[in-house]
Amino acid sequence: MAEFVNVLAVGLLLGGIYSLISVGLNLIFGVIRIVNFAQGEFVMLGMYGAFAAKMALGLDPYLAVGIVVPSLFVLGAVIYRMILMPLQGEAMMQVFATFGLLMVLQNVILALTRGTTYSVNSALSTMSVTVGPVQIGLVRLIVLVAATAVTIALGWYLKTSLQGKAIRAVAQDRKAALLMGIDVERTYMISFGIGTALAGLAGCLLSPLYSMSPQIGINFIMPAFAVVVLGGLGSVGGAYAGGFIVGMTEAIAGFYLDPALKHAVLFMVFIVALLVRPAGLFGHAGAQEVGLREQS
Amino acid sequence: MSLTRRQFGAISAATFMAGMPRASAQNAPIKIGAVNPYSGGMAQYGDEVTRGFELAVDWVNAQGGVIGRSVEIVRGNATSAQEGIAAVEQLVGRDKVDILVGTYVTAISNAASESALNYNKLYWETNALARDLTDRGLPNYARSGPSSNEFAKRSVEGALELVAAKLGKAPKDLKIWMEHEDSAYGTSIVKEQERLFKEAGLTTGIGSHSARAIDVTDSILRAKNANPDLWMSTAYVTDTNLLLRAARDQGFKPPAIMLLGVGDTVETLEALGKDFLEGILLVSYPRPDVNPKFGPGAADYLKAYRAKYSRDPIAPQSMNAFVGIKILYEAIKIAGSIEYEKVIKAAASLDKPLGTYEAGYGAKFDAKMQNSRALPVVAQWQGGAVKAVYPKEAAAEGVSIVNLPRS
Amino acid sequence: MSNLEQRQAFRQTIVVKSLRQELPICALVVAALLCVVFLFAGDSFTLNILAATFLYAGLATAWNIIGGFGGQFSLGHSVFFAIGAYTTANLYLSFQISPWLSLIPAMGLAAVVAVLISWPVFRLRGPFFSIATMAFTEVALALAMYFDAFTGGARGLSIPFRLGFGNMIFRDRFSYALLMLGYFAITLVVVAAIARSRLGYCLQAVRDNDEAAMASGINVLQTKLQGMAFSAALTGAGGALFLMYVRVVDPPALFSLFDVGVKIALVALIGGIGTIYGPLLGALLVIPLENLLRAELGASVPGGNLIVLGIILVLTAIYLKRGVFGTLQHAWLWSRRRTT
Repeated sequence: MAEFVNVLAVGLLLGGIYSLISVGLNLIFGVIRIVNFAQGEFVMLGMYGAFAAKMALGLDPYLAVGIVVPSLFVLGAVIYRMILMPLQGEAMMQVFATFGLLMVLQNVILALTRGTTYSVNSALSTMSVTVGPVQIGLVRLIVLVAATAVTIALGWYLKTSLQGKAIRAVAQDRKAALLMGIDVERTYMISFGIGTALAGLAGCLLSPLYSMSPQIGINFIMPAFAVVVLGGLGSVGGAYAGGFIVGMTEAIAGFYLDPALKHAVLFMVFIVALLVRPAGLFGHAGAQEVGLREQS
Repeated sequence: MSLTRRQFGAISAATFMAGMPRASAQNAPIKIGAVNPYSGGMAQYGDEVTRGFELAVDWVNAQGGVIGRSVEIVRGNATSAQEGIAAVEQLVGRDKVDILVGTYVTAISNAASESALNYNKLYWETNALARDLTDRGLPNYARSGPSSNEFAKRSVEGALELVAAKLGKAPKDLKIWMEHEDSAYGTSIVKEQERLFKEAGLTTGIGSHSARAIDVTDSILRAKNANPDLWMSTAYVTDTNLLLRAARDQGFKPPAIMLLGVGDTVETLEALGKDFLEGILLVSYPRPDVNPKFGPGAADYLKAYRAKYSRDPIAPQSMNAFVGIKILYEAIKIAGSIEYEKVIKAAASLDKPLGTYEAGYGAKFDAKMQNSRALPVVAQWQGGAVKAVYPKEAAAEGVSIVNLPRS
Repeated sequence: MSNLEQRQAFRQTIVVKSLRQELPICALVVAALLCVVFLFAGDSFTLNILAATFLYAGLATAWNIIGGFGGQFSLGHSVFFAIGAYTTANLYLSFQISPWLSLIPAMGLAAVVAVLISWPVFRLRGPFFSIATMAFTEVALALAMYFDAFTGGARGLSIPFRLGFGNMIFRDRFSYALLMLGYFAITLVVVAAIARSRLGYCLQAVRDNDEAAMASGINVLQTKLQGMAFSAALTGAGGALFLMYVRVVDPPALFSLFDVGVKIALVALIGGIGTIYGPLLGALLVIPLENLLRAELGASVPGGNLIVLGIILVLTAIYLKRGVFGTLQHAWLWSRRRTT
């Protein structure tokens, strides 16, 4: 029984990681419907940013957030302006363009670091908290808390702030939003920037957990899409739940079945979910059509 | 068999040059094509292995070359089997190399060496591990460094002789858990380990994980359940670090930990810190810290590396590669030529005892042209440095085992 | 449709080519490529690159059936590629069946699996379809690594070197270049036939507006499945040939997103999706460039070759949506509008 509780705890914390990684993609793909395969690379850049901040300024990764997140916002806005704005409404070309972006980002980092694996340790790395029968690393707990906080903040932002409402308006109907006086292009750019900034935040918070290599981005992107789709397109809370679905699935499959198969199990669940309810568990039915309507 | 134009040209050029007045190293240099991944995830190790090659080339050129010719390295970049074929085409067809050496990845070595055979070129392997590479029986192929079997063997020896003694248990009573990453590298080593342990009368628990996994806590929990005395792992750097961190987080504290192949570089040290790593056993290529009686000249190798590259070696793969090329030179010297049949025959005739080269290797090739006297060592993290501890002869003066069982 | 487009479409319908009119052009193209092969006979470095080029030209042309004409951007074609390779390997290693004969079951199995897994997935649109195909690749990769009875697991399978035409194993690169050219020629003819057949027009109708197609009486799902079956079968054949060329395969190589799944689509995209000859042009541009970059740049700047490739991909997606061939075709049609 204690073992099961432990596995649940692992799944929960893993869910926190997945939720945090995916919250940016949820905004970019789930809300404003831009297919961004390079999202995992932004998380990777966040990690390397934390490393650079440590090397250059001696900052703990949690403090480096203050530098990394704004930088990635700017980077995201620039990338949107240059690459994705010309591709508005062309989902398939976005796939290709962001794949190209993935290749470029990954290999630029490879070229700069020559493939050495780096690690960043925070002062909090070795601490753990005991909750009942389970031991929880403090860093993972922080990730879980951050995922929750970010989700709540993002949901609140989208719902109540003017800019947030503009984002949702633009996602629902471009032309109507334009008619309402919303600067559509600027809104998209800001949303994309926020999405990449959130990825950077995830990277910073995850950097004490992972040894970073340029390839780590690819490991994140497919599970991130699974999270966004499983949880629900357009639903911020849904993606949060999706993270836990993915985390639990992996933890349970990994422990009770075989760690080597958990990836396969996850993606089979993903495929089934895509087929049965592509809008995700918490998205409203038909949500997957939003944004694609504009392309015909 | 009729001569191709290239062969005819080579023979007539050689005849012509043989007739010229001898001036040492004035003849056309021997070009060695180094097939390795120089881009992609393995770039670092491809580079490191080639640094070993380059130091070997400097060493021999300082002595006037081999068979009167100087040596130079040409790089052929290959990150997959298909690219390995293309790299051989480039090196042989375009850059006109005489010999091919490699290769950090087994699949690349496999395809590239077969391609090399098409051109009747020697393929001298220093680093790739899979047993299949020599078991294939390719006539132009020989491996100077240890294979995965030697890694498995050394780890089992370390477990049965070293760990058992320190834990105060009979070898047969050791409870062992073997974790491995699921690609060919981890799988082949663990298979051999399992076989050897079975021979010694032990049953072992085995766990596998994907090297790309985001989380490996499940593997640690499974291992923890088995409550092993010795936890062994064969993986890559990122997942090894992940496993160790998860072990720390989960309070998984087996009395002994042994890492194979990786975990012995600064990448792991930075991730886990020297206190956590203290006493962790490693099975890896010998490093320059070995006892000079065991590995003569290892300290000079370190000096040469530092002088040329202004840093310490990234991984012990380079010294292994360095020694491999030295053994190649011996074979070329005896053969008096670079033709593969002659070099292979000469290599087969070598009989150098253990302790001849910097890595403590000897040279004695078995029927499949695997050097049976190239063995990894068991080392240990001690105070943030990796020190060889087993076999006893490899340990430097004053080095002994620490922190076993782990506190 | 604008006035201009209406006139262009009318011009195009006047000159609808049947297969009989298209075949001489195909023959000309193949003959030209054959000349190139003979031109470089003896230069095994270039012949090797040509062999890889033709293989990818064939794979991209096969992908184009469902990806270009059908508009379903599958990024999971590596599954069919792997099925072709593993089927041939198993039949060869266990039963000594010649790879030439194995092509039939390899293609058949690939087509069957394609229909089975696409059936439910085709209801997804656009990027969701692509993501689903990528998910399938991940599943297949994990299963191939774990269940090693047919795949050799992580260690993969290798075909020992036994010379012989019947074994499809050659010593020289010239023969492989011809083999791959033959493969491309066959895919080209098949694609030309499909493009000028009812299936081809149905696929394009489905691509352009599936609701209108359905209203016109086209069975959308059946059309897509047929296209996928042809595409997968040809891709499987390519996988079989790849196996005999490299002779050592493992799951990471066969299911690789960047070397197979995405690269096939990339080649078709750069050349021209939805055109018959576009993928060939894409292969001719990308594969030699990639080899050159890897040789020159890859060693000094690790990953440099992929940076350049990635930039090309981004620029093509933004500026050259129709690909090189498509853009040229479009420009030619546009320039002729005045002479209507």
